[in-house]
Amino acid sequence: MARWIKWVVGVLCVAVLVGAIYFPILRRRLRAAAKLQQQTAEQARRELTQAVPINPGEPRVKAKLFWASGNSDGMLMDSTVELPLSSDPVLRSKQVLNTLLAGPVDAELRTLPPDAVLLAFYLLPDGTAIADFSEALATATPSGIQSEQLAVDSLTRTLEANVPRVQRLKILIHGQEVETLAGHLDLTGAFLVNSKGSLVAPSTAVVAPVPAPAAPPSADKQVAPETDKPSAAPATKPSARAATPDKGLSKPAQPEKKM
Amino acid sequence: MVLDPAHGGTDPGARGTGGIRESEIVLDFAAQVRRALEAQGFQVVQTRQGNENPSFDDRSAIANAQSGAVFVTLHIASTGLPGTARVYINSDLPVTTDAHGLISWDRAQTPFEGLSRKLGDLVQGLLAQRFKGSPSTAQTAAVRQLRTTAAPAIAVEISSVVVENRADLDRMAPGVADAIATGVATFRPSYVVPTTSGGTP
Repeated sequence: MARWIKWVVGVLCVAVLVGAIYFPILRRRLRAAAKLQQQTAEQARRELTQAVPINPGEPRVKAKLFWASGNSDGMLMDSTVELPLSSDPVLRSKQVLNTLLAGPVDAELRTLPPDAVLLAFYLLPDGTAIADFSEALATATPSGIQSEQLAVDSLTRTLEANVPRVQRLKILIHGQEVETLAGHLDLTGAFLVNSKGSLVAPSTAVVAPVPAPAAPPSADKQVAPETDKPSAAPATKPSARAATPDKGLSKPAQPEKKM
Repeated sequence: MVLDPAHGGTDPGARGTGGIRESEIVLDFAAQVRRALEAQGFQVVQTRQGNENPSFDDRSAIANAQSGAVFVTLHIASTGLPGTARVYINSDLPVTTDAHGLISWDRAQTPFEGLSRKLGDLVQGLLAQRFKGSPSTAQTAAVRQLRTTAAPAIAVEISSVVVENRADLDRMAPGVADAIATGVATFRPSYVVPTTSGGTP
């Protein structure tokens, strides 16, 4: 065999050997880099969406947030998070909902899609809360009765635990009423929030909420409509069915009847 | 018996990473449930035969047009413990009628909720015997499809599209079919069509 062929074979063998050693290392590095990137993306998203208004004046209190139990049984588990919660029910609701959307430390226990954003939140005098979410809530919540129920339950139970003024929750997607959350769960009605029964007598009078344009969460503090105070704005009644008494309803996330 | 394979057409329903589509699997499940029901002597109508996507109201209307129908909507979940099945009934709402004693058409399920609960618990109990890890009683949820259905109506959701192999789901079909058919047959004698003062429009 010619000498040069021996050389070529030798060089090729060395190349294969180096490759065999180097490739697994490269693959491991790539995986680590991808994981790191995922974590930073999640972190960045958290920072962006975590529009919890900072109230230096407010003392930090223990807020109870409901995320998934992690047993894939459709159950929720409460976690206590210290937050400088406002005493104003609208601001307080936004704080807890934004923290809920930001998600738990363990991303597996999320109940709501990471891209979903709370666009606006109103509280009517009769205790009906209207929460307007970005489209991601409808498009990125896994389709299914159990998964959609879990998403709504985590919202209603978190509000129930932290904002006693909220009695019912109406969910809008990008300012619109939609038929279902992701193909199954009915969003045309309002969900009962306070399972202890209505504390506020249902008002029959048409009271005006202030239909403010959807505001970015960061600007919440300035534009938050003070709907729980008497308002002189022209009357529109976005949720006629909200003004109904709650009878014999004990579970959260039950839709209220339509009038 | 009205059998409703959920989704279809442009709506694939829940999708698994392995390419599993809820709309396709529920059709196969429906065929097996149908055979089991027919073996029990029931007449079965399906809300869709192929890959169409009738509206929620159109599906309900098929049951609402029959007197004494029973409605079962079939789903595959995105979540949940694989190999389990859950039965849902519509959330209990207070019965409300207008001045003429009529129930609004979009609340057609209201007078049937007691019956739906009974049927749901029966079927869920049978499913729990066959699929360990399933709950023992039916759950309540605001299922859109059930709200407009004027008949005892349940949703059966099987977990889940997450399984890597479709065969894992297909294996469940005979058990699901048997539980539904046996449940409906057991329920039959107690089914008295409820009447409201003005009937349901």
